[in-house]
Amino acid sequence: MSEPAGVVSKSVASSQRGLWFRLGPLWSLVSLLAIVYFVTLIISFLGDSVQVQLQYALVSLIIVVALQMFIGTSGVLSFGHVAFVAVGAWTVGLLTIDPELKRNLLPDLFPFLFDLNAPWLVAVVIGGVVGGLLALVVSPVLMRLNGLQAGIATFALLGVVNQVLTYWSSVGPRSGQSMVGIPDVLNLQTTMLFAMAAIVAAWLFQRTRPSRLLRAAREDGIAAASSGINVVSQRIIVFAVSGIVAGVAGGLFALTNRVVQSSQLNIELTFVTLAMLVLGGMLSLSGAVVGTLVFSLVDVLLVRLQNGLEIGAYVVSVPQGARAIILGLILVGMLLFRPSGLTGGREFVWPFRKERPLPGMPPTNES
Amino acid sequence: MTGQLIQSLVDALSAGATLGLAALSIGLVFGVIRLANFAQAEIITASAYCLIFTWELGWFIAVPLSIIVAVAMSLLMEFAVFSRMRSANPATLLIASFGLSFLLQRVYELMFSNNVRTAPVASGLAQTVEFAGVRIQLLSVATIVIAGLVLLGLHLFLTRTSMGLQLKAAAADFRTARLVGIPAGRVIALSFALSGILAAAVAFVLTVQSGAVGPTFGVQITILALVGAVIGGIDKISGSLAGGFLVGFVTSMLATWLPQEMSNFKDAYVFVLVIGVLLFRPSGLLIKGRGVART
Repeated sequence: MSEPAGVVSKSVASSQRGLWFRLGPLWSLVSLLAIVYFVTLIISFLGDSVQVQLQYALVSLIIVVALQMFIGTSGVLSFGHVAFVAVGAWTVGLLTIDPELKRNLLPDLFPFLFDLNAPWLVAVVIGGVVGGLLALVVSPVLMRLNGLQAGIATFALLGVVNQVLTYWSSVGPRSGQSMVGIPDVLNLQTTMLFAMAAIVAAWLFQRTRPSRLLRAAREDGIAAASSGINVVSQRIIVFAVSGIVAGVAGGLFALTNRVVQSSQLNIELTFVTLAMLVLGGMLSLSGAVVGTLVFSLVDVLLVRLQNGLEIGAYVVSVPQGARAIILGLILVGMLLFRPSGLTGGREFVWPFRKERPLPGMPPTNES
Repeated sequence: MTGQLIQSLVDALSAGATLGLAALSIGLVFGVIRLANFAQAEIITASAYCLIFTWELGWFIAVPLSIIVAVAMSLLMEFAVFSRMRSANPATLLIASFGLSFLLQRVYELMFSNNVRTAPVASGLAQTVEFAGVRIQLLSVATIVIAGLVLLGLHLFLTRTSMGLQLKAAAADFRTARLVGIPAGRVIALSFALSGILAAAVAFVLTVQSGAVGPTFGVQITILALVGAVIGGIDKISGSLAGGFLVGFVTSMLATWLPQEMSNFKDAYVFVLVIGVLLFRPSGLLIKGRGVART
């Protein structure tokens, strides 16, 4: 029998194990924030081009956190989160481009959109709201499906949203063009704070009722349903919340990239972010963070190697194009030899005590 | 008007036939080991590259060679990757096949560059013929004929030979099939090989159509084929075929008959239809009842 993870065992265990046990989950949060902080700190000494890559990596981190909030919690595959990223990016683009410029560049917009303008921070928040609303609207349909069907249906959602954004010039550029003129306001530090905020939000969310109930349903759907959990409605809540996070990430993507076009917010981004999540381990927040950072750091290293990296008297280099192949090999190799990811689906725990799974994090190797 | 209708019907039939074959190649493997192999796209691409590079040697070399390449790649994937992942669930397998697909695309980029390679493959089929006042693309007719022949061959193989029957049994219920003594490894390899042959047929049709092959050549059709297979009922061989055909047929019809400003959104309509079908028939159009939920 698999126990409803965390729901029952928590009160008993925490009284027995005392302080360390209650601080355990907090430790996982602190260590994740510290990792993000120090990686950013170290990278910021390595020159401008790497800093730019890191900023993209931090935006991806938020997307991957959003993916983990849903996929990791529910065990249901979603190829659709990039749709929420896209509408978030669109929202921020429309709200932050200078009205005069907007009139010239995007002549087919709905008239009321011309004068709509907001400070970038407000725009990012609105982007999150729009992403969450889209997730909420489509979720009653999508959340009934499981497994491969859920994957295909969320993929269809991505297809619909992408095509609407590509061709509907009343809400964006004409097809084949992109939105330019997004202000340069976001620096590395602010992006890092957003990434940390996303991690805190996801960590807090893990402790809420919908997340716990859904993790129970992930482990054993039939047992959860017969304990009175309405799986579909819990999934709707979690999907909408992760949609908000994805929308915020989209807004930050727009401010980082400063050009928004639908072709960048499509299948490729979906695969890359999913690969990051798989690499780290889908079932834990630590997996999302570690996967994204490792993937991005390897990528940074490979870009350097492609340009020739000097170590002492030697120049080490890999051929052009080898970067993507190595990243692909890492992903496939990981799925072959360690399908539960680098973290094995566990959160970080205080290293100086006996191994014990955290509440709500059953020691699964493979779901 | 009638002429245009017939013409669009023929085009839609051929689009449906192509996508039906592609969906069938995915469904055949899924039925046996529950793998929705997205890397099928790269088998199609490899076979198409082979046609482009060897066409000048003559079709009697290029076509068999393209089939051999497709079958070899399909079997290689099974032995190198998927045979080591037997215990993974369908969602993990799907992601693994995405990873493999991504990897192979980059390998193609490195080997053949990002630019498309071109060759006049079977250019004789690219012309239109006038038949009783109706202009019809010869290729559309050829596609329907090729699809028909491949399906007939597959049908005969699956119903008349011992190996085929074993495969059918395994696709219907793999565990029971093993219990009655059907050799698992051989049947799985057989399903991959057949799916490679189907991929080669798809590659031939697409290469003649476009005459140009790039690293992501097979991706578009494989996405649609996967979608088609799932809405038709990927658990059943005929389900995948019918679903793929339906998606191809509807997309082609929409492209012809929707007014210009709406036809930009044709894929969006198809995807909305897909979500609708999945909502009411989650296990597929051809599967009766709600089917067994496999998560």
